[in-house]
Amino acid sequence: MHVEIGKVKFTSPFLTASGTYGYGHEVKDLAEVDKWGGVITKSVTRNPREGNPPPRIAETSSGMLNSIGLANLGVDKYCEDIIPFLNKLQTKVIINIAGSAMEDYLETLEILEDTNANHIGYEVNISCPNVKKGGMEFGVSCNMTEKLTEEMRKRTKRLLIMKLGPNVTKIEDIAKAAENSGADAVSAINTVVGMAIDIHTRTPKIFTNYGGLSGPAIKPIAIANVHKIFNTVKIPVIGIGGISSLEDVIEFMLAGASLVQIGTMNYQNPNIGPQLADELSNYLDLMKITDLHDLIGKVKYHAK
Amino acid sequence: MIFREKIRVISNEEISEGIFKTTFKSSSISSIALPGQFINILPEYNWSHVMRRPMSIASQGNSEISIIYKPIGDGTQIMANWKKGDLIDVIGPLGNYWNNYKQTFPILIGGGVGIAPILNFHNYLNEKNINHILIMGAKNDREHFLHHAPNRNIYMSTDDGSLGIKGNVVDVIKFIYKSKNLVTNTKLFSCGPPKMMESVKTYAIDNNILCDLALETIMACGIGICQGCTIEKHVQDSNIHSYRNRFSLACIDGPIFNAKDIVTCM
Repeated sequence: MHVEIGKVKFTSPFLTASGTYGYGHEVKDLAEVDKWGGVITKSVTRNPREGNPPPRIAETSSGMLNSIGLANLGVDKYCEDIIPFLNKLQTKVIINIAGSAMEDYLETLEILEDTNANHIGYEVNISCPNVKKGGMEFGVSCNMTEKLTEEMRKRTKRLLIMKLGPNVTKIEDIAKAAENSGADAVSAINTVVGMAIDIHTRTPKIFTNYGGLSGPAIKPIAIANVHKIFNTVKIPVIGIGGISSLEDVIEFMLAGASLVQIGTMNYQNPNIGPQLADELSNYLDLMKITDLHDLIGKVKYHAK
Repeated sequence: MIFREKIRVISNEEISEGIFKTTFKSSSISSIALPGQFINILPEYNWSHVMRRPMSIASQGNSEISIIYKPIGDGTQIMANWKKGDLIDVIGPLGNYWNNYKQTFPILIGGGVGIAPILNFHNYLNEKNINHILIMGAKNDREHFLHHAPNRNIYMSTDDGSLGIKGNVVDVIKFIYKSKNLVTNTKLFSCGPPKMMESVKTYAIDNNILCDLALETIMACGIGICQGCTIEKHVQDSNIHSYRNRFSLACIDGPIFNAKDIVTCM
């Protein structure tokens, strides 16, 4: 089940999606955290953020809307309070960074680079739909994505993964821009902009009106986006969006995902990653597949 | 310690109009849970409902726990249809618990969906022989499952006067403060529908009475990860970094909060 991004070898292709697994220690009683291929942490920003007012979440058909607003400690406190926890994890740690301006991202990265930390890389959130300035202006623009990736690349030798959202015209162009400027991989998709209204009170179910839709409801959107990116870039694609079963994992891989992230379904089952890793391993044995690359992007098209 | 436990339904019944009680066999959670804490329940395995449902524990001990709820939403309607013997996936015990009642004379106030943690606290104080008052509010007598027994410090209120004192729980509080020769160090402990809690909160603050409230919010993870179950607090010290200063999390900072700290129960 080994799979690589750049020079980094992952013993399992399952990663936690940012924001759905905290910093790995919250679930220690409930899950075999170290059996994940890696833990991607909740977004950290240059300064602390209190996040959006409540209500921040709502359940929708086969999914949930959230508008947390990148609530987090800020990178200084993160280095003090969170890094020591992360350093204790036996699995790979990828730190997710968010920002609202180029210097936010770069300063956060520089501070993390200067800290005594064991993380193997960064996932850069350029597609958060829930804050006025949440990096979306980067994620919707090839130019901005290219500039940001390039500047971050100059500052780290660790893995650099750009996280892309579906709320754009052509996600594959953004992915290409990230690849051209030195990203090691792209992850897709971030949440899909959505809205839900309480018909009794006639108010939106979340404070910010629009939020990010996640969960099984968005899986087909994610599969299509992963497939488009896979067909455009050579760097690995990390698939995210509503994975809840082994079938979903295989589907993402056939569409072109080298690794996958699990998000919303962690709330149902915090041990879903380790469980699906076992299931995938059994499936590979059963199908006599020895290399995940025999699955990755191997969708068979209808004859035309 | 937090457990994820598959617990078996021993009984699931309607104890009064529209109010259900489910009792489960639970070895781990029941052994450490305290009144005021909650469990996060997966009503059934499927991906059409992705979120667990947080429910206050109504009783714990003897390898059993129970919950009391009103089937109103998708999740609670599934729960009301659980059969004896069903195995349910729960995480718990979660959150803080009723505390800071020593050196006070506790007045417990429950209503509607908020009766579970209040009833649990009431039984707990009884076991410890701690004198206290219990007030339960409902629309009418059909929603009540306890008797109005002022001689035992148990007061029922109904909006229509069909049982106990006519009016809401705040009317009962006012009645008690007027008619009873209470010790001075009373403290209110309350859980119930948002409007009820808001009026209890206002009464407590206006009359300078200590008050703890168990709040209910929409919740996903239950363990401080998703940051969804926010409770807005008055900002005491704007110098502390802003994360979880104004917006606390009901799951790990609560569900029980000091009434003075929170902006609104609504």
